Amino acid sequence: MSAPTLLRRVAAVRTPDGAELHAVVDGSDDAPVTLVLAHGWTLAQAAWDDVADLLKPRIADGALRLIRYDQRGHGRSTWGRYADDVAELSIDQLGADLGDVIDQLAPSGPVVLGGHSMGGMTIMCLAAARPELFGDRVRGVALVSTSAGDLAPAGETLAERLQLRFAPGLVTVAIGGARALERLRQLLPPTHPRHQKMVRELLYGADATDEMVVAGAEIMHASTVRSFAAFYPALGEHDKRQELKTLTNVPVEILVGESDKLTPKRHSRQLAEALPDANLQIVERTGHMLTQERPQLTVDAIERLLAAATADRTAA
Amino acid sequence: MTSTLESPSTAPATRARNVRVAIIGSGFAGLGMAIALRRRGEHDFVVLERADDVGGTWRDNTYPGAACDVQSNLYSFSFAPNPDWPRSYSEQPEIQAYLQATADKFGVREHCVFGADVTSARWHDTARRWEIRTTSGTFLAQVLISAAGALADPTYPDIPGLDSFAGTTMHSARWDDSHDLAGEKVAVIGTGASAIQVVPAIQPIVDSVTVYQRTPAWVVPRTDHPVKPLMRLLYRIVPGLQKAVRSFLYLFREFLVLGMAKRRRFLKPVQKLAQAHLHKQVRDPKLRAALTPDYTIGCKRILISNDYFPAVAAPNAELVTAGIAEVRQHSIVDRDGVERPTDTIVLATGFHVTDLPIAEKIRGRDGRTLADVWSDGMLSNRSSTVAGFPNLFLLVGPNVGVGHTSMVYMIESQVAYVDDALQTMDAEGLAVLETTEQAQRAYRDLIAAKSKGTVWLTGGCASWYLDKHGHNTTLWPDFTFRFRKLTRTLDRENYIGTPADAPATEVAA
Repeated sequence: MSAPTLLRRVAAVRTPDGAELHAVVDGSDDAPVTLVLAHGWTLAQAAWDDVADLLKPRIADGALRLIRYDQRGHGRSTWGRYADDVAELSIDQLGADLGDVIDQLAPSGPVVLGGHSMGGMTIMCLAAARPELFGDRVRGVALVSTSAGDLAPAGETLAERLQLRFAPGLVTVAIGGARALERLRQLLPPTHPRHQKMVRELLYGADATDEMVVAGAEIMHASTVRSFAAFYPALGEHDKRQELKTLTNVPVEILVGESDKLTPKRHSRQLAEALPDANLQIVERTGHMLTQERPQLTVDAIERLLAAATADRTAA
Repeated sequence: MTSTLESPSTAPATRARNVRVAIIGSGFAGLGMAIALRRRGEHDFVVLERADDVGGTWRDNTYPGAACDVQSNLYSFSFAPNPDWPRSYSEQPEIQAYLQATADKFGVREHCVFGADVTSARWHDTARRWEIRTTSGTFLAQVLISAAGALADPTYPDIPGLDSFAGTTMHSARWDDSHDLAGEKVAVIGTGASAIQVVPAIQPIVDSVTVYQRTPAWVVPRTDHPVKPLMRLLYRIVPGLQKAVRSFLYLFREFLVLGMAKRRRFLKPVQKLAQAHLHKQVRDPKLRAALTPDYTIGCKRILISNDYFPAVAAPNAELVTAGIAEVRQHSIVDRDGVERPTDTIVLATGFHVTDLPIAEKIRGRDGRTLADVWSDGMLSNRSSTVAGFPNLFLLVGPNVGVGHTSMVYMIESQVAYVDDALQTMDAEGLAVLETTEQAQRAYRDLIAAKSKGTVWLTGGCASWYLDKHGHNTTLWPDFTFRFRKLTRTLDRENYIGTPADAPATEVAA
């Protein structure tokens, strides 16, 4: 009867425009600090599962509350006002969504945020839009495999120039033909060796196990062509390089894989330059899926933030 | 009254109402039986109904989303077509309204005794009467027909702490309409036919819904649609049209028997269809795996739904497969040690099917209850009669269940059989009619032979179709037209009749 249990509830966070964000809340409402984790592009909250597993004892002890959620248009979460037209979709919207998640599920008490890839950009957008949250409420930020901007190809080579020129049209085509593309996609399921090879080369580092690659591939396979295409231009437009000042108010941990091809380490270096107090780690033999490839390292960084957030109440 | 016995414990009660026939229950079976009697001019009968209205299972199951899995054109009495079904698959209120209207149309209500919950029924060999005690008085009947049904009494799971739950607990078959689920954290236990209807109905209004699943079900698309006004008009004016549609649906569904009972490979396309349905509606590979059964389709009842999977995959839903360790005052703890705060528990845990509770109340010639006689499995002749229980007929008893088609077809087959038995008694001047143990054994062997190799026994699942010994005592394991043929007329050779003028003490055996 008295065996320690892990409290859990699911919640559908309703945004002002009517989207419903699927969140899983682990731990007691009385916990001294809440950690909110935001996942990356074409992923889902499951991308944080390995990290969450390592945090389990801490949550069961009542020392931590953990909120994982599916970003708009990903996982179980709906599209809201972008259900029919994604033209105006931006990462700023995701930042606002994260604000709604905090307001509704962690309305008081210290909060630490973790963002992987697009999830990191989500935090930067929230910081730019609602700086007052950072300091007293949000007391620490982990930015994993992410970027403050300048993700679009530079347009230096012919291939890049062509990509810049045709990408918007291709995105429109992809969204229009999402159904047909979905069907094509089924021809190469995540269990297929070719599929795994592709995913491994693009996203994973040298030490990644086959299990990691399959798990990641399955999460991505579950996301829609529509979210792939709809968020692609939004990621290109993301630029918060001039609006990072808010994040200097809180402890920041920056992590990136040495062999990250999607958000190469120069992006994390730029972040570290803008946030001189932040702790930057460049992890060897690691790709873009750092939360999966190095969960313990990620948890170590998060735990430093949690310790600071709870120990240092008066200083904040 | 007519008894000459003096002993008060064995003599029928004195202030009792005398009737020729007493029918227990007023669902599809009870009404069908009553209507058959009325239609041939028999008026000396009562329908004992524990509730205050007719309808049985369809009166009791008022949970949100309750609907039939068989098209209404087929799931209705053959003699009472309804051209006004609003949908191809009707929902509970329409089916209940149909039963009420049919009861009125055939004048059944005047025979109904409402609030008459049968507490015991006992055969008196000397009086040759059934003494039926109810909460609305005692009845003496020459013939007792139990139409109590298989989906009448809810089963409650044995989960530690369930009794101490401080929130609301309700069984899907005993739904409390006055309890508002809006904004609540609701747990649904079970993933059978009731659960897959109630989950999508409540998911949009609750704060969150957690579905506790033991075994996933195969789910195929529901081809439900509103019936267009033109079609309803055609049903009225074109003679035989609705009957033709009914026949087509019947035949189409009967093809499933080929796969379930004859050649398992015929089930492959059905399983493929169910797999594609799941694949299309659920993207998340983990959820998809959790919802994929590991047994052959048809082993458990095939469910039909277009909105169950989307509801389980909704932003406010969660599927738990870990099993329940215990219920606490305000939460449910699963076997992985995860505790979920819960306001209301919906038990969609089904019914007593292999252990019909009415059997505990019926005592035969030697004073033993039917449940006692059946303790090693339900045994009968033609699913309708039991040796040692003279003048007792069972509707929706052992081995008449069907998972693929309309139960009403089976009920009408049984009603015809029982009616023929009653007419035979009249024609031969019999006071007592009783089947033989030999006939029961032969019928049991027939069922066993037909069940051998069927998907229900070999499909790799534990279902409510099988009793605790793993025997099929609930399903008719063949084409339903074969059951109809078997029960078209009374198999007189399997019965011993006692003439009305025979001495009371003589035991015919």
